[in-house]
Amino acid sequence: MIPAALPRSAAIALLRFAIWIAPHDTLDWGRGMLSELNHVEGNWSALIWSIGGAGVLAKHAILAAILPGSHRRTVSTASELFEKEGPMRKPALAVIASCVLASLLFFLVPVFRQAFHVSLAQWHEILQVDRWPANTEREPELDALGKKAGQNQDAEALAFIAVRYPNAIQRARFADEAVQLDPSLTWVYAVAGRAYLSPSEIDRRVSLLKQWDPQNALPHLFAAQKIGAPVTYSKEFPEGKLEQNPAWEKEMDAAFQSPKLDTYLDRQNQLDHRVLTRYRLDDPFQAASGEDRYGFPNYGVGECSLYAQSLLESGKSLESRGDRKAAFEKYLVVARFGQMISIDNEFTFLIRKEMKEAYGRLAALSQTEGNGQAASFYTSLADQFDKAADKQRLLLRNRFRGSDVSLWNAFLVRLSGLGILICAALLFLCALGVVIRNRSLKLASLHPSRLTLALCSGAAIGSLLSSAILFVSYRPYSELLQRFLNKGDDAQLPELAAFLRDAQRPLGSQFSMGTWHISSSMMVFYFWFAITTLCALALLIAIFRHFQTRPRASVPA
Amino acid sequence: MKTPRLSPQTLRVLERFVERPTAWRYGYELSRETGLKSGTLYPILMRLAKYSLLETKWVATEDGVPPRHTYRLTPNGVELVRATFAAERSALKTRRVAFSGGKA
Repeated sequence: MIPAALPRSAAIALLRFAIWIAPHDTLDWGRGMLSELNHVEGNWSALIWSIGGAGVLAKHAILAAILPGSHRRTVSTASELFEKEGPMRKPALAVIASCVLASLLFFLVPVFRQAFHVSLAQWHEILQVDRWPANTEREPELDALGKKAGQNQDAEALAFIAVRYPNAIQRARFADEAVQLDPSLTWVYAVAGRAYLSPSEIDRRVSLLKQWDPQNALPHLFAAQKIGAPVTYSKEFPEGKLEQNPAWEKEMDAAFQSPKLDTYLDRQNQLDHRVLTRYRLDDPFQAASGEDRYGFPNYGVGECSLYAQSLLESGKSLESRGDRKAAFEKYLVVARFGQMISIDNEFTFLIRKEMKEAYGRLAALSQTEGNGQAASFYTSLADQFDKAADKQRLLLRNRFRGSDVSLWNAFLVRLSGLGILICAALLFLCALGVVIRNRSLKLASLHPSRLTLALCSGAAIGSLLSSAILFVSYRPYSELLQRFLNKGDDAQLPELAAFLRDAQRPLGSQFSMGTWHISSSMMVFYFWFAITTLCALALLIAIFRHFQTRPRASVPA
Repeated sequence: MKTPRLSPQTLRVLERFVERPTAWRYGYELSRETGLKSGTLYPILMRLAKYSLLETKWVATEDGVPPRHTYRLTPNGVELVRATFAAERSALKTRRVAFSGGKA
C-alpha cells in the first residue's frame, strides 16, 4: 500500500531536482510550477503536474547544454549558481565519489571480475571476436597452455586442449600428441571430433578406439557415421528411405550388440577438473565447454534412430511371415540398446519412439506366446519411456534454450554488464567535457554544470547498482564452478554451461514480437548503425556549437 | 513585432487571458480552465513571455503558503490577441457565407 502523501512528496522532490538542473533563465518558471503544486488538488494529480513541469525544465537544461548560446546567463560561472541555489553541489560530488569508489571496490573481488568477464562475452559476437563456440582459428589462452603442456610433456593438458581448440587440424595434432604420450587417453579421439579429418585418419582412429575399448558401442557409431547412413529421398519417401549398405549395417549391428555405450563424458569431466586445478585455470568457459557435447555424441543419435527403425521394420516383416522367434530377436536388439542408454539422457528422447515401439512389440509377442509375466514386464518398460518423456523434453529444451532460471540470470548479467559500460562511458564523457570547458586539469578550478553533476550522479549510482546486480546474479554460477574445481563435483556443470551459452548472446538478440525477430546478426547491424548515428550526431552538434560560439567580426558603424 | 506560432493550444490559453485582460492568472488555474497539462501549458507561457506578450509577477498569498507566480497579457499581447481573434471571426464569417450559398 502506497502512503497517500508519497506521490506528492515525490512530485516535490522531482520538481526540486528539475529546478536544480534547469538553466538560470527558466528558474522562475520552475519555481512557479513548484509553488502551484501547493494548490493542485489530489496527490496523483500533483505528481502528474510535476512530471510535466520537470519534463519542460529538463528539455531546457539539455538544450542549454547542447546550445550554450540559446539561454541567457545572468550569472558569470556555474559556481555562482551553486552558491545561489544552496548546498547541493557537495552532496552530489560526495555521492558520485562514493558510488564510483564502491563500484571500483567490486573489482577487487575475484568473483566479480569473473562475472564482468562473462558479461563481456556478448560483445564477442557484436565485435566479431568469436570466443565460444569456436569459429576462430586461434585461442591465445589455449596456445599458452599448449606451450606449457608441451614443455611438461603433460598428456592430460594436451587432451584438454584437443577437445577445445578452434582449429580442427591443430585439434587433431594435440589429440595425437596426447595419445602418444599416454595411450590411456585414446578416448580423446572420440571426443575431439572428426571434422576435416581424412577418411584414412578416421579409420586409424576408429581402429585404435576399437582396440582400446572393444566393449563400447561408440567407436562403431563413429565408424558408421563416417560411412554415412544410406538414405535416399524421393517423392514416394519424402522423409527418406534406408537403402542397403552392408558396411554401415555391420557397424550399426556391432554398436547395437555392444555390451556398453560409454560417451566418455565422465572421463572428460574428471580430466578437465585435474587440468584446471593443475594449471589454476578458473575460466568458466573452459570448465563448462565439455558439457557442450550433450552427453551423447551427436553422430550417434541419427544413426541409432535409423537403424532401430530398420530393425523394427524387419521384425514386423518376419512377424507377418510367421517367424515370431526371429522377429522377437530383432525387437530385443532394439530394446537392449534402449536399456544401455540412460533413460535420463535428454537425447534418449530422440529415439524414444523406436524404443517404445520395440517394448510394445515384445509385450504383444510375449502375450501371443502365452507369457503374461514377460508381457507385463515389457509393458511396464514401455510405460517408463512415456513417464520419462516430459523430463527428457525439458532436459532437451534446457539444453538448447537454457532453463528459465539460467535465461533470467544470463539476462541480468548481460544487462548489468552493459549498464556498467554505459555508466563508465557517461562518467568519462562528463569528466572530459568539464576539463575541456574549464581548460584546466586542476580539481579546484573545475566547475561542472548542474546538468553534468546530475548526469554524473545518475551514472555513478547506475554503475553501483549494475555492479551489485552483476555480482548477485553471477555468484551462484561461480559457486558451481568452484564446486567443480575444488571437489570435482560436475553434477551442476550443465546448468553452468546453459547459463554461459545464454550469457554470450548479445542483449536484445533473440527478441521477437509477433513475426518480427531480431537475430544475432541483425543485432550486430543495429549496434554499428546506432554507433554511426551517435557519432554523426555528436559531430553535427560540435560543428553547430563551433559556429554559434566563434567570435564574430564587428561591423563598422 | 515578432509573434509566436499560434497553435490551437496557444489560442486556447490566449482566450482565457483575453476574457479578463487585466487580471493576474495562476498556472494551475489556467491548466484547469484550458484542460492543458503542465508539460504543454508552461512552454506556451514561456514562449509568450519570450515575445513580450506576457508579463509575470510573484504575488504573496495567505501566511505560510509560498508566493505564487502569476501571469497577465502585456498591452502588446492584448492587442495581438484581439487582432488575431478579429481575423479569426472574420475568416469564420466568410467561410459560413461561402458554405451557405452567399446568404449571410
